[in-house]
Amino acid sequence: MPNPVIRWQIVSPEPNKASRFYEKLFAWKLSTANGLGYRELVNGTGRGVDGGVWPAPPDKPGLVQLVIEVEDVDETLLAAVKLGAQVIVPKSVLPDGDTMAVLLDPTGLSFILCQLRSRS
Amino acid sequence: MDLRQTLAAELARRRSRNRRYSLRALARDLDTDHASLSQFLRGRRHLSARKLQQLGRRLHLGAADIAEACEQHNADAIARLGRLKSFRPDSRWIATRTGLPLDLVNAALTRLLHQRRLAMPAADRWSFSSHA
Repeated sequence: MPNPVIRWQIVSPEPNKASRFYEKLFAWKLSTANGLGYRELVNGTGRGVDGGVWPAPPDKPGLVQLVIEVEDVDETLLAAVKLGAQVIVPKSVLPDGDTMAVLLDPTGLSFILCQLRSRS
Repeated sequence: MDLRQTLAAELARRRSRNRRYSLRALARDLDTDHASLSQFLRGRRHLSARKLQQLGRRLHLGAADIAEACEQHNADAIARLGRLKSFRPDSRWIATRTGLPLDLVNAALTRLLHQRRLAMPAADRWSFSSHA
């Protein structure tokens, strides 16, 4: 299937509490060994989709975002905007090398486009 | 929420009631230092998060507004840091230099990206716009 969901992201006002909850409940492995100190949660089975927890801005509610892999962020951004999406964070290259952009779909849900480093 | 604008508006409001009401009087009423307040209002001084919270409470701002002011303050601090030649595009380095917890750094980076004040065109190159 093209453009798979490759990660999920919980944006939480209490990222420590959220990440520890899922770590304990599901025995997922929690790691912050990445360029942004992002709390990655890995299930370790090789199946399913791993994710992580990112801090929400103060006094903002939590939310869940899907991270969808694309071959070319620029192309997909254009296509998404034509279909009614709104760009809220333009194409950006993360310290680990992945390229991403954050959009709102036409119903107001945010999601993330990601072009993995190996394809950038 | 821009606390500087809020303070300036509060000073103007009090002056409209009492023409002799001064910045020194506002500083006294907010239990803060006149010189610091004056420099802050002129954009020549940056206050600590604790001081911002104190001022916000004394202005009877809501918790959400105070949090918003502090987040904006953190974003501004990172944007200023980003103009240094020695800047490193690394959340942990920024946290060390600003004294902010890593989560507050990352939340502020998100805010800067949303505001288009930060661009990340490459993994090792972040550029901050000049209107911080």
